[in-house]
Amino acid sequence: MDKEINPGETIIHNKNVETALNDDQVSMSTMQFSRRSLSTQVTITQRAYLEVFGLKNYPVGVELGEEEMRIGRGDDCGLKLPLHGVSRQHARVYFRNEEYYIEDLESTNGTYVNSIRVSRCVLRNNDQIEIGQAKIFFIEERMRRKSI
Amino acid sequence: MTTGKNSPAQVTFWGTRGSIPTPGRTTEKYGGNTPCVSIVYDNNYIIIDAGSGIRNCGLELVGSGLGTSENPIDLHLFLSHTHWDHIQGLPFFVPAYVPGNSFVIYGSPNKERFLESILSDQMDTQYFPVEMTSLAANISIREMSDEALRFGDLAIDWQEQVYHPGGSVRYRITVNGRRIVYASDVELDQIFFPDEKTEETERLAAEYLAFVDKADLLIADGQYTEEEYKTKKGWGHTSIPVLLEIAYRAKVKQLAFFHHDPQHTDKLLNELWTKYSPKYHTADPPMHIFWAREGLTMPI
Ligand SMILES: [Zn+2]
Ligand SMILES: [Zn+2]
Repeated sequence: MDKEINPGETIIHNKNVETALNDDQVSMSTMQFSRRSLSTQVTITQRAYLEVFGLKNYPVGVELGEEEMRIGRGDDCGLKLPLHGVSRQHARVYFRNEEYYIEDLESTNGTYVNSIRVSRCVLRNNDQIEIGQAKIFFIEERMRRKSI
Repeated sequence: MTTGKNSPAQVTFWGTRGSIPTPGRTTEKYGGNTPCVSIVYDNNYIIIDAGSGIRNCGLELVGSGLGTSENPIDLHLFLSHTHWDHIQGLPFFVPAYVPGNSFVIYGSPNKERFLESILSDQMDTQYFPVEMTSLAANISIREMSDEALRFGDLAIDWQEQVYHPGGSVRYRITVNGRRIVYASDVELDQIFFPDEKTEETERLAAEYLAFVDKADLLIADGQYTEEEYKTKKGWGHTSIPVLLEIAYRAKVKQLAFFHHDPQHTDKLLNELWTKYSPKYHTADPPMHIFWAREGLTMPI
């Protein structure tokens, strides 16, 4: 979690929820191929990122994993924001029940989601988080795709 | 989140949808559960309305180790009225089944039938497999008097709202000099812009303005767009432009649109926010407006 962010860099965490659909030996009579052969090639991928704007030489993207990500000025933050108005440990993003949440860690200047000050909020695609001078977009992708 | 003395009260939206739950892809941002809001301050647990959202409220409480038989708590549920979308979650509220919890349900005294019979009828075996008498918590149902209720530093007062079929109640929570008002299920258009102004509408308008005056957070019915309202007059819900105008007149600081129409998708609610919020955000004084969404907790 202890990573310094370089401009333009995307840090990939180990989150890549893959659910292989499985179905034993079922073939559908109306189809040219078995359901199994179809479904074993499909994976559902869920990925989420924080994209930071408002900093010199940024944006920067951080991929979220299942572990908690701390946001703040502190060296131990997964997303380090060396900015005015950002507390040492400002907020955290965590994953629970297949959802991402942001929680303010009693920061001095508050955590905002879509311009509203929050203590905690479930995150949805394209939510705009404001922490100090930084604007951070939460981007979530859910894909069903054929694996090769 | 701390909820101790001198920290802010924490207001959480568990259900924001009006009329009927609307699960699905087009409502996942603002949520599909029917009305439920909790206010927590210094170990006082206040819940307003028991729509389907109360289910998640109960699960979170118990999940955090509160309201369990090892760690029982006192819960206070205030009902705005007993339309189905405001009580349907009650049989799914887990802490009500836990012995040792105290659970007080408050509602309007001005009903034709006793609140208790309305609630227990919902759990008649013809409608639901578990009867209300099997709720193991210490449950009491109270019809409120005119006096404000106090829980530690937190005070609650209420007023009847007439422009909704069967009526409804609005609540005001005062804590640490801050005010949170919950005023759902009311047609303000009929009070503030009636076809004909009467002494009665004037009185109701003045009462409303005084009640929500300078609220730090107003959670209010703004179900219909201006267009939709034309065909929904008399249905008991407020149109967006009227709510905006009245809330701004009352110097409300943050306005949460609530009781979203079941037909309103995330896309539409996003568009409404984009359309209306900049004007009020940059006004002097500003009023911050947003469409309430499930899973949001605000410090007030
Ligand atoms: Zn309703
Ligand atoms: Zn109603």
